[in-house]
Amino acid sequence: MLKKINLKNKIALVTGAGKGLGKACAIALAEAGAKVIILSRTKSDLIKVKKIIKKTKGSSQLFVCDVTNLDDLKKVLKKISRLDILVNNAGNNRPQHFTKVSQENMEYLVNLNMKAAFNVAQLCSQKKVKAKNRKKIGGSIIHMSSQLGKVGCEGRNVYNMNKFGVEGLSRGMACELAPYNIRVNTICPTFVETPMVKKFFKNKKFKNKMLKNIPLGRVARESDVATAVAFLAADSSEMITGTSLLVDGGWTAQ
Amino acid sequence: MGIFLKDINLKGKTALITGATKGLGRGAAIAIAEAGGNVIAIGRNQMELNTLKKEIKKFKVNYIPFNCDVNNFNRMKSFIAKLNKLDILVNNAGTNIPESFLNVKKSSMETLLNVNTKAVFNVAQLCANQIIKLKRKSGSIINISSIFGVVAGQKRTVYSMTKFSVEGLTKGMALDLAKYNIRVNSVCPNIVLTPRTKKYFADKKYNKYVKENTPINKVVTVSDVATSITFLASEASSMITGASIIIDGGWTAK
Repeated sequence: MLKKINLKNKIALVTGAGKGLGKACAIALAEAGAKVIILSRTKSDLIKVKKIIKKTKGSSQLFVCDVTNLDDLKKVLKKISRLDILVNNAGNNRPQHFTKVSQENMEYLVNLNMKAAFNVAQLCSQKKVKAKNRKKIGGSIIHMSSQLGKVGCEGRNVYNMNKFGVEGLSRGMACELAPYNIRVNTICPTFVETPMVKKFFKNKKFKNKMLKNIPLGRVARESDVATAVAFLAADSSEMITGTSLLVDGGWTAQ
Repeated sequence: MGIFLKDINLKGKTALITGATKGLGRGAAIAIAEAGGNVIAIGRNQMELNTLKKEIKKFKVNYIPFNCDVNNFNRMKSFIAKLNKLDILVNNAGTNIPESFLNVKKSSMETLLNVNTKAVFNVAQLCANQIIKLKRKSGSIINISSIFGVVAGQKRTVYSMTKFSVEGLTKGMALDLAKYNIRVNSVCPNIVLTPRTKKYFADKKYNKYVKENTPINKVVTVSDVATSITFLASEASSMITGASIIIDGGWTAK
């Protein structure tokens, strides 16, 4: 009756896998039995992740690549023969009040959080649909969205725009890829203890204000998000597509 | 428990499941036992409560059956107040009487409101109070909703009214119970093949309607839903509250 989170014989690609959530997802997928292809701009980060995966008796392959560079991305994808799972995770945030957002920051965030996310998803999907047995074995794409893909937040207008965009992309992709039995979902975490969030939380006033918005009264751990990603990646969720899994401690329920 | 991957493990936990003799409730009871959880099964059919015992006992967990109609508030109240272990509620008992809006009988409307909304509220309140009284470290309540808690369907006005209400109740409960570390979520399945829906599927037109509206070309199974319920019941989802897991093969993404 219970479908275990089991990814044996699956090949997964994780972008932004050097740090934070991407790193946690890559390790969790490997722990569930997947062979993991890890992508990031920083080789030293990837080597560390690869070592951790090796320690857990998992297997991984690393590629140094900036996902905003389409040519590089295409070259990397060419080297990969098969793909079952994509964790479309690479992303960033530069909080600024709406009236003060610089063109440079807006362009940077749209390019990374939306354009690159689209490109990675499209290239991987093109590869996935080519597998002859795809309909039988299925596939899963998980976009790293955010609770801010569901609700607004001060100083997060561009990030809101990006993540709402990802939510839309995910639903559209789910409709189009369903005939290939490829499922597409998003994860919407609240603030997670990652290097990126730790930087924001140096501002104690901001930290306390944000914690007040999380009914469970704590930030999410990387393992909370990585486990949810593994659940969506595995056949344990084989009828879940075109939806979002909120890991937000109740933030958006208010 | 790996480094980042949390197991769906319910060892030492006790779950109360309403409507446990058939369909989704029975599936949830078995999946919870499979994950190591003890089962308290509420149902109205003694024979089915007995046959469920055999399936639950296979997993070497405790089984307490209680033959009771969830509408019987006083019996439910005194039973739940006597429990000395309770961590999880699968608030599942529910029914449907499909009628077109203009012809909905007053009696059907009242039946659905009594079972799907009032009894759901009452059982949830009784169990939440008991979990708090027992000073459990954490709790998880899973309300069984439906895609018709998110969108409408033909001849489903009253059902939608009740299931949308369950969605609202879920979010409200999540906020009120967060400080006790009791998480509250719902699952929203597409039409699952169960003893109750068998008669709907027997109608060719209905069959076609479900197929055409489900991008992933499969019917949701009891096991699909039971797996999500067990995931939400366990600490694998410890930051998920006030959320809904939609298990619909893409029905509501369109």
